[in-house]
Amino acid sequence: MTLEGRTGELVSDWSLLERVVQRDESALSALYDRYSGLVFSEAKRILRDTGAAEEILQDLFYQIWRTAERFDAARGSLAGWLLVAARNRAISRLRRKTGKTEELSENGVSLKVDLESTAAQNILLHKVRVVMGSLPEGQRQALEFAYFEGMSHTEIAEKMGQPLGTVKTRIRSAMEKLKQVLA
Amino acid sequence: MTNGEHIRDEEFLLLAAGALPEEECAELRAHAAGCAECAAKLAEAWGQAAVLAFLVPQERPAATVKAELFARIRAEREADHRYRWPTKSEKEVRAPKMDDGLGRASTAPARRPRWEWVLVPVAVALLVAALVQWRENQRLSMELENANRQIADLMNARQRTQMLVDVLSAGDTVSVKLASNLETANAWGTVQYNAGKGMVLYSAVLPPLPEGRTYQMWLVPKNGAPISAGVFLPKQGARQLWTAEVPLNTEVKAFAVTIEPAGGVPQPTGPKVLLGAS
Repeated sequence: MTLEGRTGELVSDWSLLERVVQRDESALSALYDRYSGLVFSEAKRILRDTGAAEEILQDLFYQIWRTAERFDAARGSLAGWLLVAARNRAISRLRRKTGKTEELSENGVSLKVDLESTAAQNILLHKVRVVMGSLPEGQRQALEFAYFEGMSHTEIAEKMGQPLGTVKTRIRSAMEKLKQVLA
Repeated sequence: MTNGEHIRDEEFLLLAAGALPEEECAELRAHAAGCAECAAKLAEAWGQAAVLAFLVPQERPAATVKAELFARIRAEREADHRYRWPTKSEKEVRAPKMDDGLGRASTAPARRPRWEWVLVPVAVALLVAALVQWRENQRLSMELENANRQIADLMNARQRTQMLVDVLSAGDTVSVKLASNLETANAWGTVQYNAGKGMVLYSAVLPPLPEGRTYQMWLVPKNGAPISAGVFLPKQGARQLWTAEVPLNTEVKAFAVTIEPAGGVPQPTGPKVLLGAS
């Protein structure tokens, strides 16, 4: 199964998910082809470990197979859930958390941009990099320490030698700027 | 945590960025779980954070990952099919009908071939071998992870050293000596500042402070409010160098060190202990 339907039109995530609910492996395969690169790259960036990133990738798609019926097109974004869940699991692993990690609800991420085609992903990739490149170095660094290294604002303040309030402001400002990407 | 009953907007952003400590995250998520309005805002903040994945250089996973995923799915489907309770019609298909000699058909009990029991010890042995292999893989993964972490630390240290060399060797880096306002004889500081790179390097010898207080370095720009260049606590007898990033191309007229509450403050409030004009 390719990303294209028989008529040549792009098959939406939600159509594919409906087919996954009906136990259609080719639909899961299409979703995997669509998002596995993003999920794997993100997990690997956080963990710096190919094997561990592959495990997270496989577990997430296995979860989609097992719980596809829980996703609701009206309430969340599959791509958003994949990216945030991958980040959270990788950070949990990085920090060697024990016990049960709090799971992100299947409909817990609202991402109102199209990521269903490679072209759309490339456009967003360009926009994100332009916006992040325009941020002052301190804002960009603070956000990356939080998101990719799993550091709390207090740890970031200590690492950057900045007051806690400054670090919070930097992260908030950087996140606000990211709204431009989604506008 | 909340403004009235709801989570504040800034907290959504900090939570989604991953910057809040675990206890605060749990508290906010627990609130959002029972509050549709906050849950919707949190979902939007997560969406904003999700696009950060696009900052990462994109790589494709090995083809074997997908193959393993589908092997796992097929094994599970097969197991489900094999071990689920058979339906009535399946029972009838599997069990041959026999005539009981009285003209009534009966269903023969399904016979399990004896040789299947040979598989039990084999399966146990395979399970044990798989467990041993899994533990070994875990150990090796951990070692590899540690090694990768050490490499990352070394690369960070190398980058920092390179940055120090770049700033110190740049022709446009200015060097400023800071004079002490303290009565202590041995108190001084030096600052290296490169406006083009937005970098400040400084060292200082200062007396120890009581608990809950810290020294804070400030750039005093020609226009605008002082800019923090970080908090620091010099160790007696140690040679220490602190670095800070500041907004690019800031024209600075002076550098100052003040005593502030631990953690620092957005603008100076305490007494100046070191001062130097640029």
